[in-house]
Amino acid sequence: MKIMLRISLLVLYSSLLATLAFGEGLADKVKEHTLKNGMKLLMVERHNSPTVALWIRYKVGSVNERSDERGLAHMLEHMLFKGTKNIGTRNYAAEKPLLAGIEKTAQELMAEKLKRDKADKRKIETLSKRLASLEAEEDAYVLPNEFSQIYAKNGGSSLNAFTAKDTTAYMVSLPSNKLELWAALESDRMRNAVLRQFYTERNVVMEERRRSYDAEPSGKLWEDFLAAAFIAHPYGQPTIGWMSDIENLSRTKAESFLHRFYAPNNAVVAIIGDIDPQKTVALVEKYFASIPPGRQVPPVAVDEPKQNGERRIEVEGEAEPELLIGFHKPTLPSTDDYVFDVLDMLLADGRTSRLYKKLVLEKQLATDVSTDVAPGILYPNLFIISATPRSPHTVKEVEQAIYEEVERLKTEPVNQTELQRILNNLEAAEIHAMGSNGGLAYRLTEYEATAGTWRYFTEHRQRVAKVTPEDVIRVARKYLDRENRTVGIITKREKAQ
Amino acid sequence: MKRIAIITLIITLFLAASAACAAPVNPRTMTFPPLKFQIPKSERIVMDNGITVYLLEDHELPVVSITAYIGVGSVYEPAGKTGLAGLTGAVMRSGGAIDLPPESMDSELEFMASSVESSIGTDVGNASMSCLKKNLDRTLQIFSRLLMAPAFREDRVELARKKTIEALRRENDNPKEVADRELNKAIYRGSQLGRHATIESVNAITRADMVSFHSSFFRPNNVILSIAGDFTRNEILEKLNRVFTGWKQERISFPPVALPGPELKPAVYLVQKDINQSVIRMGHLGIDKSNPDIYALRVMDFILGRGGFESRLMSEVRTSQGLAYNVESDFSIGRRYPGTFVAETETKAESTAKAIGLMKRIIAGMTERPVTETELRQAKDSIISSFIFGFTNTSSVVNQQAMLDYYGYPKGYLENYRGKIAAVAREDVLRVARKYLHPEKMILVVVGDGKKFDKPLSLFGEVREIKLKEGQ
Repeated sequence: MKIMLRISLLVLYSSLLATLAFGEGLADKVKEHTLKNGMKLLMVERHNSPTVALWIRYKVGSVNERSDERGLAHMLEHMLFKGTKNIGTRNYAAEKPLLAGIEKTAQELMAEKLKRDKADKRKIETLSKRLASLEAEEDAYVLPNEFSQIYAKNGGSSLNAFTAKDTTAYMVSLPSNKLELWAALESDRMRNAVLRQFYTERNVVMEERRRSYDAEPSGKLWEDFLAAAFIAHPYGQPTIGWMSDIENLSRTKAESFLHRFYAPNNAVVAIIGDIDPQKTVALVEKYFASIPPGRQVPPVAVDEPKQNGERRIEVEGEAEPELLIGFHKPTLPSTDDYVFDVLDMLLADGRTSRLYKKLVLEKQLATDVSTDVAPGILYPNLFIISATPRSPHTVKEVEQAIYEEVERLKTEPVNQTELQRILNNLEAAEIHAMGSNGGLAYRLTEYEATAGTWRYFTEHRQRVAKVTPEDVIRVARKYLDRENRTVGIITKREKAQ
Repeated sequence: MKRIAIITLIITLFLAASAACAAPVNPRTMTFPPLKFQIPKSERIVMDNGITVYLLEDHELPVVSITAYIGVGSVYEPAGKTGLAGLTGAVMRSGGAIDLPPESMDSELEFMASSVESSIGTDVGNASMSCLKKNLDRTLQIFSRLLMAPAFREDRVELARKKTIEALRRENDNPKEVADRELNKAIYRGSQLGRHATIESVNAITRADMVSFHSSFFRPNNVILSIAGDFTRNEILEKLNRVFTGWKQERISFPPVALPGPELKPAVYLVQKDINQSVIRMGHLGIDKSNPDIYALRVMDFILGRGGFESRLMSEVRTSQGLAYNVESDFSIGRRYPGTFVAETETKAESTAKAIGLMKRIIAGMTERPVTETELRQAKDSIISSFIFGFTNTSSVVNQQAMLDYYGYPKGYLENYRGKIAAVAREDVLRVARKYLHPEKMILVVVGDGKKFDKPLSLFGEVREIKLKEGQ
């Protein structure tokens, strides 16, 4: 399963607003229904093709992990494809005692390894062998990948999941005559998930970590950059977990996290496409209504303390230079958040944006420049400017040129044409977003789970329209300064010849 | 308040109990009502000036999108000018039109929130536009100027060259890109298909080269337009006639393309990089779409490594052994030239040889025994029932039909596709695996830290090391 660790807020924000006409059009088209157990259902009828996009988004993400749970939301993203008491097994009753034996052995093994230099090597070897043989015994009962097999042979498309800081989502598209298959499989997964083959899958996740971060200089930079920018808030910890975090995850911890949070009252479901909303409600009631609610995901308590000065980090690697600059900022419902949406588009959206014109076209210091809001939106986050320097120009030159543009924002008011361009682009993005079942499902569940209502889709542009040139100056002065920023760079490692 | 809470709780429990009593449904054996689906049809029109147009109206949203398919490609680049096609495609847009400087083009388009882009790939050129209906006239006009009258302004040519050189300098930063590139070069050695731009070849390209490359291929008789969205047929045809007026037809002479010889030469390449995970690519030359075995090959490839979690490579290398996150095969059917067979994965340095050996055995296994009846059914059902997802929006429907025309697919290709897949038998899968998979003649490329491998790569043949040099 792919994970989108960097949920692109650019995508998010550029689609947030609706034109009056279309926003209202969408508002009429979205049908809502809430089950007694708290599960929220959003539906849009579109009969363009006999297909339907099906999303379940949980209001839990890596931000909800305790320090000994880092990586669990993502680990569960993998494990929730391993089947249930009914699917993925030849005989769960016979399999269950083996699972218990595997867990006991794996925990003893982890405990011994944690003694590090004092660990008993012979014991580690014995336990490893026992674990392997128990796993082989269990494999005899497992029907590997049966869950995805059933979807696939029924025409399932885009079967996937992702883990973000604030939320996690599980999605598939089906031919519309097979809607009930989704209801049957997903209600079973919500109720009866079995985290079988956990320790083999943990190895897969370690390979995923190597692939996306360890062997990927830009991935490393991103990870270190966030860890430096957030010293207290869990937005600073990697969603996939540090390698040693992953090495110490257990099935017991994963089950505890699963049962704590993955309940219908924390789920937002979107069913978009060739459906009859009334019948769909009845179907969803039939399969999901009996799943008991769990506790609500508690808000993260820690506040990121105010930054006291510039932070700089460097990643040395076999790679050409890259630059990231992040400024702490508030999030929704702060009105300043909307001003940042303007800044985002003003600075780096398109060939006429200020940073592109200055850095790429005029001074030709960089080949690319972009801005983003990350790594989540439920809690105060970062406004990030990134750039790729063009040799022989240095990171330093590029950084300096960016600051000059940032300073301009604090004194010169933006003109009306720039503001109008932004509104026009938000309008178009909204309309385009309505042209795909999956795209709508993504946005509606995202807004419902983070902004509190899918209506953010239709309200955002109206809010941005109220942003004035004075707001831009005020916000730039308030947040875009030296002591509030974190700078991350890749420096090419010089090889001894 | 407390009392209400308790009552609610009881009702909830009661509901839960009653629903739980219902007979459980078994997803393995569920049956479904039949699905009504017909492949949507676009209309094909040839304009007076020779442009072929595919049209499909869609009034759901006030948007119009157009994609042009132009008979051009990097295969036609002159020797020593590798990179010319890509640069021409980029500067057609970034350099503006002869009557509209790039600065004005950018600000007009971005103010309207319209997009107009162009690019040239290996065997096709594309230009595309997308806009709100209210901005159709002006966007279409700009789109037509980009196709007919690009300015290739000198400063923008230089800027694009610098950007390309910087991208080439950075190519070796990503180990996966290095492996993909080196395998492609090795499989297509001796053919235009295996050429790769270098700083030297990009520096050799002049503005005059671009102007001439453009004018040789960008002719109305060499263009197919695919149009979808909120318009009416006659209205859009009239607009097209207006903006493309004066675009002259010209006989186009396509330079010959040397294809790689059919003889497969196995090889083992190592690219040394100081990383904790090895990038592994293996494969050989494949076939093109004129081959009648493409349907059986599609099923074979699905079972081997393309069919997501169900494939043999995924089940064994990832699910059972936990050796990799990504593992797959792709027997790509060339649309115009022979495609490639490639199997790929990434695994920690310490399991490099293990993963390679395992993948080679799984590939060889396809040629040794027939697949099981269950595998065959699973593959065919998956391919056939997900077919409709190629038609979920109007622009993909029209683009698909335009593309089939561009590459000269036989009539009825789409209509017959599911039937042909349904007809594939176990013996066919074995036969095509034996005929087209050559596990003993693959080219193997590994990017990684040779010192840390579990076993030396020489296990798989004589190892040649590729030394990375910037931009070469």
